[in-house]
Amino acid sequence: MGTELGKYKLCVSARSTNKKLLKHSQDGGIVTHLLAFALDEGIIDGAIVAATKEFAKANPSKIMRDNSNFDFPEPWRPIPAIVTTKADLLAAAGTKYNLSPNVSMIKEATRSFGLDKVGIVGTPCQMQAVRKGQLYPIGLRDVGASIALAVGIFCMENFPYQSILQLVEDHAAMKMESVKKMEIGKGKFWVYGKRGQVVQLPLKVTHKYEQPGCHVCLDYVANLADISTGSVGSPDGWSTVFVRSKIGDSVWAKAIAAGAFETQPIEKVKPGLELVTKLANEKITKNKATLEERKTFGVGKALRNPYI
Amino acid sequence: MSKVVEISPTTRHEGHSKLVLKVNDAGIIEKGNWCSITPVRGVEKLAIGKTPEQVPKIASRVCGICPIAHNLAGTEAMEASIKCEIPKDAKMLRHILQLANRAHSIALHDILILPDLYIPGTEVKVNPFTPEEPVRSVAKRIQRIREIGQTIGQIAGGECIHPSNTRVGGMYRNCSEQAKTKMYDLAKEGLVLAHQQAEFMIAVLRNYQKRDWVDVGGMKVPLPKDLGYHDQGYLATDAFYGSSSLEECPSWDINRFKEVRPWDWYMGEMEISLEEPKYPVGGTTKMGTKVNPQMEACTGIPMYDGQPVEVGPRARLVTYKNFDEKGTVGQNVAREMEYQDSFYEMIDCIDALNPSGKVMADFVPDGDGSLGWAANEAPRGTDVHIARVKDWKVQYFSMLVPTTWNFATCSAALVGAPWQLAEVVMRGYDPCVSCATHMIVLDEDNKLVAQKLIQ
Repeated sequence: MGTELGKYKLCVSARSTNKKLLKHSQDGGIVTHLLAFALDEGIIDGAIVAATKEFAKANPSKIMRDNSNFDFPEPWRPIPAIVTTKADLLAAAGTKYNLSPNVSMIKEATRSFGLDKVGIVGTPCQMQAVRKGQLYPIGLRDVGASIALAVGIFCMENFPYQSILQLVEDHAAMKMESVKKMEIGKGKFWVYGKRGQVVQLPLKVTHKYEQPGCHVCLDYVANLADISTGSVGSPDGWSTVFVRSKIGDSVWAKAIAAGAFETQPIEKVKPGLELVTKLANEKITKNKATLEERKTFGVGKALRNPYI
Repeated sequence: MSKVVEISPTTRHEGHSKLVLKVNDAGIIEKGNWCSITPVRGVEKLAIGKTPEQVPKIASRVCGICPIAHNLAGTEAMEASIKCEIPKDAKMLRHILQLANRAHSIALHDILILPDLYIPGTEVKVNPFTPEEPVRSVAKRIQRIREIGQTIGQIAGGECIHPSNTRVGGMYRNCSEQAKTKMYDLAKEGLVLAHQQAEFMIAVLRNYQKRDWVDVGGMKVPLPKDLGYHDQGYLATDAFYGSSSLEECPSWDINRFKEVRPWDWYMGEMEISLEEPKYPVGGTTKMGTKVNPQMEACTGIPMYDGQPVEVGPRARLVTYKNFDEKGTVGQNVAREMEYQDSFYEMIDCIDALNPSGKVMADFVPDGDGSLGWAANEAPRGTDVHIARVKDWKVQYFSMLVPTTWNFATCSAALVGAPWQLAEVVMRGYDPCVSCATHMIVLDEDNKLVAQKLIQ
């Protein structure tokens, strides 16, 4: 196809040089360290991230309480939060594998949080929403210009919270509270328990729990982010990083110059870009089929292909 | 023999209005009618049956110039009706929001009146859009003050035009420590600019006041020393914020207020007998045209103690700060004097705000149908909303908007001025005509009368 990885200026395999941070992070600690660096350098003055129940409990003023999380939520339910310090960032690090409505905070970030330069982390669809909001700022007065850094994460599909609950508590037979980390890799869904137990579920099992809305998305690697990252394509403990925009380029260059990340050329690592391309194509092909299918119902309002 | 001249539409203010003036042979106004010709929106009718949450949001949409005052007065009228006290920090946020609105509204007004005034020491009128100094830096300063006012407004209220964070019972959320600091810094910056801007404007206004004549569309018009004088009295509910029926000693009394129909107040049908094609822009109405202010005006005439009164910056300064200058220039000077005050007060409110404090009342009653009112001091005067809420549904809603109060007062102030300066007098009131257009009219027995003009 050739366009499955979007436009990018640079692609490397990287990991954070901060050992302490790596302990908290999912893979290479790219998102957390990049945002921490941007906060330190004043590139952003706050970031919207997916935090956890513990974080929300400790910092009720940094989240938006609404009907979905008014009573403090369940473990592993992501809650969009606005962080302004490194400590907060670390407390919120790690992938949660279910929906986190980060974009819902984007206006509030520039309002009652008073941010001028907002950093946002999100999945490819959320990056699309952010860019659309910048192009057509309906109900987002002055928000577009405040978005200083958008970091995208690779995403094949996402799960509603109930699905994760089902997968962990029924299939993996583990209590949500006792989960230390969740991960998708090597064709499996991994659940690591706090007592050291490890459960692996074949991805096949998880498919029926996916959010159906994800099956129309044709973006695997967050094409519209300033910098997008994910574990796919790099060895364990490392992340693949695409630097896409001018903003992304300048931030990444500064971060490298400051020694925030160690990098390897993507061509030299295994499995490399080949796997990313393969998975991206897999997602696009699979979801195009859904799109084709959807053309046959409704009133001729099939979703537009974002690539043409 | 008096002649009739009509300026329609009037320009450089919000909304759609006109001036019908009866003038003597020397061109001095003997009787003036300033009337709104903006069509009625019917917000009061829309409100009936809605929830108290919805109504202030709808009411705020009546206008984009002081929507904050409408939103706050509406919300507080609901709270007054259901008798709900809000936490202190919510009050502070509302104060900050309201003052931010005042700051950026005064800046806008400056842009609108500057073309009437002269650059001191010259015979050149100010064109606020010229790229030349000294006006250019003034225009930039005005823009910056507006930006500051709007940014503070959107932090405190969620949105600077139609604030989204006000709730019946408080505010949606408090702001963060960082946001508080940002508001403080902006207010400090605004204060310096407001001082400079007020000084500039007052100098320009005093220069105007000293002149013997002014130029209007090539006509040399004598400038009377008592331009815009009237003896109608003043009404203000607070130096900054407002008052409501929830307070122990409210500063407004609903029993002293009455509204009459324009039918009983304005002049009847007349024919235009004076036409001036040179009057900017495009001349006055053609000779022989029939006008009928009684039927065309879309506002009621509110009275306090049986008389129309003036509301606005001068009324606030007269009531609370012993200001004593009459006339149009005095009114504009008073407005400029409010500039710094609004930033000083804003800084005090930001200081008093606790970002981790509670901003929503613990219990919001559903309302028992009792009448509540709230007055909010909008940039251009007292904005009173009256509401009745029962079982979380609005039964009655009425808006008494600043410029509604000022219509009849300004009409009285027109007397004695050359007709060419009628618009200058009118602009002194910083009119916001569209929200002033309501037709809830009561007769002598306080009963709702048939609404002739809508039918």
